Amino acid sequence: MKQAFILIPLLILPFVLNDFWLTQVATRSLILGIMALSLSFLATYLGVVSFAQATMAGIAGYTIAFFGPNTVGIGVPLPFWVSIPLALVLATVSGALVGLIARRSRGIYAIMITLAIGVAFFYFTRQNYTFFNGWTGFSGVRAPEIAGLSLRDPLPLYLLSLGMAALALALVSGFVRSPLGLTIQAVRDAPGRVLALGVSITTPIVAAFAFSGLLAGAGGILNVWYQERISSFSVGLGPIIDILIISVIGGLRHPGGAFVGAVVFVLLDTFAVDLIDRERFNTLIGVVLLLIVIVAPGGLQQLASDWMARLRRPEVKEKSTVRANS
Amino acid sequence: MPVNHSHNTANALEVRGIGKRFGGFWAVQDIDLTVRPGERRAILGPNGAGKTSLFNVLTGDTSATTGQITLFGDSVTREPINKRIQRGLRRTYQHAHLFNGLTVRDTLFLAVAGLRGSWRQVMPLRASDARLAEAERLAEVAGVADVLDRETSELSHGQRRQLEIGIALAEDPKILLLDEPAAGLSPAERPKLSALLKSLPEDVTVVLIEHDMDIALQTSESVSVLYNGRLLAEGSPDEIMRNEDVHRVYIGGAHGH
Ligand SMILES: Nc1ncnc2c1ncn2[C@@H]1O[C@H](COP(=O)(O)OP(=O)(O)OP(=O)(O)O)[C@@H](O)[C@H]1O
Ligand SMILES: [Mg+2]
Repeated sequence: MKQAFILIPLLILPFVLNDFWLTQVATRSLILGIMALSLSFLATYLGVVSFAQATMAGIAGYTIAFFGPNTVGIGVPLPFWVSIPLALVLATVSGALVGLIARRSRGIYAIMITLAIGVAFFYFTRQNYTFFNGWTGFSGVRAPEIAGLSLRDPLPLYLLSLGMAALALALVSGFVRSPLGLTIQAVRDAPGRVLALGVSITTPIVAAFAFSGLLAGAGGILNVWYQERISSFSVGLGPIIDILIISVIGGLRHPGGAFVGAVVFVLLDTFAVDLIDRERFNTLIGVVLLLIVIVAPGGLQQLASDWMARLRRPEVKEKSTVRANS
Repeated sequence: MPVNHSHNTANALEVRGIGKRFGGFWAVQDIDLTVRPGERRAILGPNGAGKTSLFNVLTGDTSATTGQITLFGDSVTREPINKRIQRGLRRTYQHAHLFNGLTVRDTLFLAVAGLRGSWRQVMPLRASDARLAEAERLAEVAGVADVLDRETSELSHGQRRQLEIGIALAEDPKILLLDEPAAGLSPAERPKLSALLKSLPEDVTVVLIEHDMDIALQTSESVSVLYNGRLLAEGSPDEIMRNEDVHRVYIGGAHGH
């Protein structure tokens, strides 16, 4: 449980940061990190890059907006303890459906199919007014109050996001050590060989997508509470590419990388705008992405752990000589 | 898929008119084979004779262009590979074909869990899991117990081949198709392999592709010789040794081409 120590500074963070930093940087990074984790999980353990994660997150977000308080007068208000599980279930089912559609595709073909699904959903939300309120979408979405504690306030929302991020990482690391998780990794390495173990490959692929839908859905719920609105723009090409960029910056070798990528992305997004104008931000993030792909294909997380290993090595040698002498 | 036990008298494997075409080229053509339960059969033939292509069709790795395949009396010609594996058919691959990101232990675990139909579980594995103990036993049998926690991508060529055998031995195989299991093994590993093959339960049917004529003739009771995708000769090792066709095309061909 070495990873649990990382939680300590993260729990102290609210006492150090002002509300702007806590909400705009820390909470936002955690939420984007959870969404990116849903992609990193698929890419790392199934070996498939999906462009439909923003769609799965969006389905959860729209569910919360439709079945909760909003200011556009559409939807059916339900208690949060119904709408939250419903949002997670719908996101998981949408993940499973994407997996079912993309199950025979790998590499560039999987990217194209999932991108087509993502773009189709984007246009659908613009044209449908009954459930998605078209172009404008929903505003005034409010996070619930639980036991007098409003999840709209910076500290509770931060702590909730932190808890969800930790839970999501724990779920991923447990799931990949389960029989189904191992089968998913086997499908990544040699699908034909999985069949030759007497195992079908449709179920592991669909299950991996469904699980990624669950993660994306958790991120999507937090995101709609954080933004307090959701519209077609929340599921368009912008967020689709942001999630991809975060995953690539963080690296696909370790699930925690998604959060490293999210912090870098949010810092650039928040502060680059002060230095250069909005239009140039895309250029900047593009250059950062290019640098990372060239210099550290494993992402920043991998780069950092390589450096750590290099720093640690002499120390280990010293220790062993001491032991040999004594 | 439950194995049908009502066909005790049926042949383990029956193949009629099997052919496999790649483009305009028949890798395997017009093969008939009958293998009794418990028989030890060798498939002999020079490079490119079509031995591996025949195995691929038998297991369902590739589909047959022509012909019928029957396992223990049940037609499996149209069945996908995973269904045939569940009937007790197992194979090793000539070019080891493994999960590079998984350890030896996890690979053998999946071989066991896959056949027990329990691979769908979502809770993390416990160290006390009976299937892990079975994976360790298989590793012991196949001779890869010392590299249990190594990723398969780090294994030597010989270890990869031994792991292939470990996978094939999971959960009571009924028919083992072994594609040149001795190739690439060190001289020290070869006798272990022979001993392992001899130690298999008598009712396990073994079909062994072997490039080396001496090994093939020593370890089997019957031999089928393939040449240019066709069945050239069939019989006991003695008969094959005396067969003039075999001498002319195989032994001559092996040196000549
Ligand atoms: N997928 C394929 N596409 C086209 N041709 C193929 C394919 N697989 C095999 N062949 C051809 O079929 C013929 C038989 O190949 P096969 O691998 O079955 O021979 P083999 O008897 O196993 O030989 P070896 O002893 O070298 O393993 C060869 O000429 C080979 O080139
Ligand atoms: Mg071969």
